[in-house]
Amino acid sequence: MTKPIYILGGFQTDFARNWSKEGKHITAMMREAVRGAMQRTQVEPADIDVGHVGNFAAELYTMQGHLGAFLLEADPGLSGLPTARHEAACASGSIALLAASAEIEAGRYDCALVLGVEQMKTVSAAIGGEYLGTAAWYEREAKGVEFPFPKLFGKLGDEYDRRYGLKDEHLARISAINYANAKRNQRAQTRTWYMSEDHASCESKYNQVIGGRIKVTDCSQVTDGAVAVFLASETFAKTWAKRTGKRLEDVARLRGWGHRTAPIAFADKIAESADQPYVLPHTRRAITDALQRAGITDVWQLDGIETHDCFTTSEYMAIDHFGLTEPGASWRAIEDGVIDFGGKLPINPSGGLIGAGHPVGATGVRQLLDAARQVTDSAGSYQVEGARKFATLNIGGSGTTSCVFVVGRD
Amino acid sequence: MGAGSGEVFAAAGIHTTFLARTRDKAEQGRARAEKLAKATAIAKLIDVGTYDADFDAAVGEADLVFEAVAEDMELKKQYMARIDKVRQPGSVVATVSSGLSIAGIVADCSEDLRKHFLGLHLFNPPNVIVGCELVPHAGTDPDVIAATDELLRARLGRQVVRTADTPAFAGNRVGFKLLNEVAQLAEEYGVGYIDALIGPHTGRAMSPLVTIDFVGWDVHKAIVDNLYANTADEAHDCLKLPAYMDELISAGHLGNKTPDKGGFFCGGSVLNPSTRGYAVAETPVPELAQKMRAAHRIGRYNDAIELMVETASPDAALMRKVVLGYVSYALGRVGEVVERAADVDRIMAFGFNWAPAGLLADMIGPRRCVALLDKTNLAVPPVLTEAAEKGERLWDEPDVDAGRFFFGS
Repeated sequence: MTKPIYILGGFQTDFARNWSKEGKHITAMMREAVRGAMQRTQVEPADIDVGHVGNFAAELYTMQGHLGAFLLEADPGLSGLPTARHEAACASGSIALLAASAEIEAGRYDCALVLGVEQMKTVSAAIGGEYLGTAAWYEREAKGVEFPFPKLFGKLGDEYDRRYGLKDEHLARISAINYANAKRNQRAQTRTWYMSEDHASCESKYNQVIGGRIKVTDCSQVTDGAVAVFLASETFAKTWAKRTGKRLEDVARLRGWGHRTAPIAFADKIAESADQPYVLPHTRRAITDALQRAGITDVWQLDGIETHDCFTTSEYMAIDHFGLTEPGASWRAIEDGVIDFGGKLPINPSGGLIGAGHPVGATGVRQLLDAARQVTDSAGSYQVEGARKFATLNIGGSGTTSCVFVVGRD
Repeated sequence: MGAGSGEVFAAAGIHTTFLARTRDKAEQGRARAEKLAKATAIAKLIDVGTYDADFDAAVGEADLVFEAVAEDMELKKQYMARIDKVRQPGSVVATVSSGLSIAGIVADCSEDLRKHFLGLHLFNPPNVIVGCELVPHAGTDPDVIAATDELLRARLGRQVVRTADTPAFAGNRVGFKLLNEVAQLAEEYGVGYIDALIGPHTGRAMSPLVTIDFVGWDVHKAIVDNLYANTADEAHDCLKLPAYMDELISAGHLGNKTPDKGGFFCGGSVLNPSTRGYAVAETPVPELAQKMRAAHRIGRYNDAIELMVETASPDAALMRKVVLGYVSYALGRVGEVVERAADVDRIMAFGFNWAPAGLLADMIGPRRCVALLDKTNLAVPPVLTEAAEKGERLWDEPDVDAGRFFFGS
């Protein structure tokens, strides 16, 4: 990072809510998140220089585009704010964060509002699955396919199986851990749902196969949610810290970032990586870029990871790609309890996308907010004790856009 | 209710035995638990048995006995006597009563059972609604209360509110007072109109008369009759079951559970309380309700409440009477049924999914709310006066999005 970027905090809506049942327009969700973030951080509308929105497909789900403009609906004091909306499928939120942080690094602005949002419960699961197909190469990979993404991430599992061997019991364990973690998180979508490793392991009328080796319990959720955070320059963070009675060194900082794009078609990704140890080498590269920029030489310097478990196979991939094991041996970290809530390097203490929920465009921002809360001892009931460095991995498409952040405090 | 409650224990990984009159009934309960949990795996944690063959062994082994027989004092007493004979000393015994006297149920039982006995009121469906009332009686051991509270919170994921052993406890007392008041008003204003006026935009997931149809008219009658007979508070008249409901209940109209006869609504038809007949009727949504829904739709919840407070119209006056009546009545139970405003607010939020009275008072402004209650001839609860004087807010639940209680269209 050329200049320090501070994360002042933010707000996440309750991911268990169904905003269509509440009779709400997407603006209501955005407004609650922005106002919640302003209230929690004591950042005033006049402090905010720029607004960035991460969103995947509001045009499809809600027939509403131009979401940047809706930031202004949160408060009359935001009128005139420069805004933009960013899209990179499930990584949209992280792309919005990258844009905001780049502007602060460039010295253009001092305080940025970044909001990730998705309202998905407006349509049936089948239609929603079709919309999500646009995050793949639609005509080649999704058109006419029922639930294309579970099938694509099922293939990721198959590729692991082909190269290294993969047991479904390890995927079931990933699912059970995420659900168990979500029970500690009062804003997680599945916090009241029943789950056990037993249930995740068995195929039944309540746990049917959706595509390939992917069962219902291997999937993240269809979620309505918005998350807002404030990023700030050192100049603003100093003033803000003084105003709110904080020490600057206690404020979370963005320590490093990684951002890589792989060929969009899943078959092309696999063909490209055929002779390489990592199944998704561009994702691996995004991770090593971020760790390097953060000055982290050993993954065990991290205290936790919020990763993109859109399916259990993507978390399985993240485990070896982060370097918790050698390539293909993610199962060992699972069996050894490394990724458990109380493990050596917990993954998704929030519950992740499987447990906490996956409002597509909001996920990257939710991960960053959770990481910032973890390193500032403000994650409440799902605090990883003493955490000082956390990483996030947010993926768009079938491993296409990979965004990684390292968050820490002094 | 039995299977739903049992599922909550089994879902927490607690080995549970479902007892019923017949094995078939118990099996049905286990199947229901599987359906609620959406997992066949939960069945591994559930044994089944009958009251005749398995009661003594199952109750004798249990750390916690959860009695969920029908809401009838004599029946509950009979089962409590059986439990008393075979339970192991020190085991906790809970009843799922939603309104009977907790002390009364165990009045004839042993000292040890009475010490280990409390009411546990879960709300339907308990796998979704996490609010629950924990109702000790005067003789319940404080350690038993604390341990049960901890079990409910930490293992069962419940939002627990402790209430006094008073009729219908806190949630049903406050909730059914409003529901019954709306049923009374339906006679004068019509079912469609009053239900649309006091609809989800006033801070509830389901409009009042649709709610009564959903819970069942027989259940509604049991609760309000009990309240009317055994309480004497400032809103006593609101608890009297309307005569038209009594008559229709006798004729078999119980709401959704009797789809042929219906309740307030039957298929596409609406009840006319005066004639006791049903007719297809399109009731226009009152303009005030439309405006409030539109404000909620775009997240302007305070603007919607302002419309309710400031609009000068007969619709607004009627809405204020009911909604402010709810605020007055709920907060008025502090000191009688619950210790703090937060308790009654939490059970309305987590048990009923209604905007808590304290939240509404905060949105209006406690001082302004006191003046409005005065003006509407409603009792001003001391806890509200105190908040107004100190300039404090009543609702403080940072983990709960207040916006979730207000519905748009």
